[in-house]
Amino acid sequence: MPLILHRLERILLQTLAELGETNLEKLTSNSNLNIDQVRRAIEWLKSKGLIEIKSISREKISLGENGKKVLINGLPEKRLIKTLLQIGGRANFQELKNAFPIDGQEFNAALGYAKEKGWIRFSSIEGKTFIEIVSEPTITTEEVLLERLSKGDVFLDELSQEDLKTLKVLIKRPNYITQKSIKTIQLKLTQLGEQTVKSLKKKREIDTLTPELIISGKWREYVLRPIDVVSPTPPIYPGKKHPVQRFIDEVREIFISLGFEEIDGPLIQPCFWNFDALFTPQDHPAREMQDTFYLSKIKAKSIGSDKIVENVAKVHLNGGNTGSKGWGYQWNRELAEGLVLRTHTTAVTVKYLADFKPSEARVFSVGRVFRNEKTTFKHLAEFHQIEGIVVGKRVTLRDLMGLLSCFYSRLGLKKVKFWPSYFPYTEPSLQSVVYIDRLGKWVELCGMGIFRPEVTLPLGVKNPVLAWGGGLERLVMLRYGVDDVRKLYENNLSWLRGLPICL
Amino acid sequence: MPIVTIYYDRIRKLLKQSVSIEQIIETLPYLGLDLEEKSDDYVRVEYNPNRPDFSTDYGIARALNGLLGFEKGAPNYFVERGDIKVFVDSSVKSIRPYIVSLVVKGLKLDDETIRQIITMQEDLHAGIGRKRRKVSIGIHNLDVIYPPFTYTTVPPNYRFIPLNYTKPMSMEEILRDIDVGREYGYIVRGFNRYPIIIDSKGGVLSFPPIINGELTRVTSLTKNLFIDITGTDLEAMENSLAILAAAFQDAGGKLVSVEINYEDKVMITPNMKPNHIPIDLNLTRKLLGLNLSKFEVKECLEKSRISVIDKDESMIAVIPRYRVDIMHPVDLVEEVVIGYGLANLKPTIPRGSMLGRFNENLMKLDRVREVLIGLGLIEVMNFNLVSREILYDKVRRKERRVLQVESPKTKEHEVLRDQLLPSLLFVASRNLHEEYPQRIFEVAKVCILDNRKSSRVREEYHVAVLIAHAEANYSEAKSLLTAFIQQAFNKQIKTKPTNHYMFTLGRVAEVYVNGKKLGWLGEIHPQVLNNFNLRVPVVAFELNLDLLN
Repeated sequence: MPLILHRLERILLQTLAELGETNLEKLTSNSNLNIDQVRRAIEWLKSKGLIEIKSISREKISLGENGKKVLINGLPEKRLIKTLLQIGGRANFQELKNAFPIDGQEFNAALGYAKEKGWIRFSSIEGKTFIEIVSEPTITTEEVLLERLSKGDVFLDELSQEDLKTLKVLIKRPNYITQKSIKTIQLKLTQLGEQTVKSLKKKREIDTLTPELIISGKWREYVLRPIDVVSPTPPIYPGKKHPVQRFIDEVREIFISLGFEEIDGPLIQPCFWNFDALFTPQDHPAREMQDTFYLSKIKAKSIGSDKIVENVAKVHLNGGNTGSKGWGYQWNRELAEGLVLRTHTTAVTVKYLADFKPSEARVFSVGRVFRNEKTTFKHLAEFHQIEGIVVGKRVTLRDLMGLLSCFYSRLGLKKVKFWPSYFPYTEPSLQSVVYIDRLGKWVELCGMGIFRPEVTLPLGVKNPVLAWGGGLERLVMLRYGVDDVRKLYENNLSWLRGLPICL
Repeated sequence: MPIVTIYYDRIRKLLKQSVSIEQIIETLPYLGLDLEEKSDDYVRVEYNPNRPDFSTDYGIARALNGLLGFEKGAPNYFVERGDIKVFVDSSVKSIRPYIVSLVVKGLKLDDETIRQIITMQEDLHAGIGRKRRKVSIGIHNLDVIYPPFTYTTVPPNYRFIPLNYTKPMSMEEILRDIDVGREYGYIVRGFNRYPIIIDSKGGVLSFPPIINGELTRVTSLTKNLFIDITGTDLEAMENSLAILAAAFQDAGGKLVSVEINYEDKVMITPNMKPNHIPIDLNLTRKLLGLNLSKFEVKECLEKSRISVIDKDESMIAVIPRYRVDIMHPVDLVEEVVIGYGLANLKPTIPRGSMLGRFNENLMKLDRVREVLIGLGLIEVMNFNLVSREILYDKVRRKERRVLQVESPKTKEHEVLRDQLLPSLLFVASRNLHEEYPQRIFEVAKVCILDNRKSSRVREEYHVAVLIAHAEANYSEAKSLLTAFIQQAFNKQIKTKPTNHYMFTLGRVAEVYVNGKKLGWLGEIHPQVLNNFNLRVPVVAFELNLDLLN
């Protein structure tokens, strides 16, 4: 696997290859990087196993207090010679001492060093000791080393053999030199590091493969610089179905696979199909304006065939020929002509029954319905309903339970219970409750039943009709883990873009 | 829907055998009661409006005793013949023609019983009474009033002390100044006299359907009750009275009848005689998919508190008078299945097979979605009801042929949209901080006023596309539209310059396919962008899909 190297890493590797084993200071100055860049790159290289770092102890040599003075004033022995020259180049001990005011011990040391360096000699005349210059002093190795130290500290291991000899001398002199142990690191390439450096040198690197390089074949002369394949890249978003539509389509496919035919019908319905044909009495609370959206100012021009309208009127009055008592009131055609935004898709289903009078059928629809409600986290004024019917000579309530269980099971909801319920247009009436693992509870999902004879007979439908209907959004919320139903229709793009389709 | 509170200690006293709270709670849904709230002392359940007899815990206990097998068949109600009379003055005829009554004796009322009775009264008012229009109930302390009573009318300046007040008020003041007066006054307004029930000494029992007199206030010390029900629907009134009577007998009271004297007839109320409805055995077996024997059907019905008279050829159901929901033999089928226990009913799969089929028109919409998604667009879904502001004002459009709904609860659901683009602009305005480019579409129905239609509304499926980003322009939208129509319908589009309020002049075109005008395509007018707070150019198109095949 090719290693991906940062620019800093490449520079350091190459510098290290040139220097061999080295320390941080040298590496920094040779690489022309600043110390922070070097430190960072060292960390990376170390973690990739390209360099080895040793921690060592080094002796650091610095100027002492007296060493600094000497650099200003000169070595005492040199100053002694200068004084001696001023008083004639020859003097006895006392004369020289008087001319060169310096501490006794130091005077003696200066004399000693001057003699040692062969600049003076002693002679004894008449019991007196004379000091005379033998040769002019030159620049000493001590001075050279002190001068070097004045420009910066030096490590012991950086000194030559000669320097070491000089150092030995200087160390003996009081406080000329200080010496300290310092911990420091030493870096060198590992074997892998050396191989990497070699491979770096092989070919020139380029960043982009151009069409020209591909066509001409010149790409062979280059190496495409490895890129960082780990870092994140800018996001892109696919085109997508709306999550509610996706769920609707899933529901549609389930019913198609169960042998159902899909129907679609108007959103705007005369009250007749939304309520009256469904045996909902004209003073039923659900028909009031505070629950149902009525269109202002307009009414339907016609509502249904005369025969059906007459049958429905009778069934409301006294049950007609359905065997029912009816609701016992005089049905009012005008109230049936009001136009509503359908409160359930059952209006469409019932119109289908009236139009086709099937003796056998399986029909479903998923459509929008409306309720005049304030929008809350639980309720919308506009939502979708899943609705279906089965017509047949021998269909039973148990079949209805079986079909719904099957439908839920295909949506992944396996635990279903049925409880009695009530709708004006079905009898018996049930509701299904489904256990939701995520919520840890039973949730009401869908109402169902067998259409009352008061509904089917006036339309001319003789066989029993199993019917069910339920809200879609509840299921969508469970699927996508949404707790506020309004979120489904906020069309927030980051939600739509981010929501995976495989939930 | 109405809600009843069931206290565990009360319901256990009302049940004929001892049973655990858990079992009670588990059984309630099988009576059609939805659990709303559960606490250490009580559960609150919602009941369906066809069962007003469930408006007290007495009614619920009655049904539980049946379903749990503690009692069988229809309960018996005894009404002792009483001598209290109510005289009905003919002046009520045109206002609120009917009254029925009942006397209950020997009650021991506690606070919770009174609360249960008040809840029942309110539920009956709201449901079966249709907000007191059809039925209103007055419950009075019998021991402070002097029969006979008269149901008559008085002029608006007639004064009495209404319940919870200390000073007499006129009928007008009651309708004007008291909450219940304002709420239900519409039922009696418009007549120059108001209904009233008074006793033989002129004491006021009630101003129906508004408020009782303070005189007859019921407290926990009250032993004997007089109950009046006035209204416009005699059957609903008798039904309500039967439900009340049943609850009062279950509460330990003795029922005593009242004689109602109309101008032309005399009625003895309450009527607690059970109804008889024939049982359709075949229908029951057929609808339930169960081959039940006569005996099994009888047992099931008895669990639902319905008795059965088994004659040679036929079976007759004896339905207690408080069950006001049984109107057809099919209603007995449900009683059988409740008695059988829905938990015991095994689901089956319908026999035979049929061929599934998608709706062709909706399949066309599927195709439209597929192509637009393939072109990288995100689908959004909006409501059909929108605000006037979005549909007209913000897109610089004049109101014309508006489809408006009556009394919407919010301004956001005021008018039916006949175009999709305003909704899409609204979506864009809600996504100002989301990454651009934004490319969205919607496929949905729109509603258009059309007097040629029998429903006066034409519904069309439209598609609309909106593209928003710093470089969005006409050409991008036209390329997309061209590709869309070509891929989805194998047709070519033609564009013709036009002028349109929503778009910039000179950068908008009508879209034609096969010579039919389908809609518009163009750059949204900068003023419209300002109106929606949009900060980048927007291009868009909207087409009527019903004209494309």
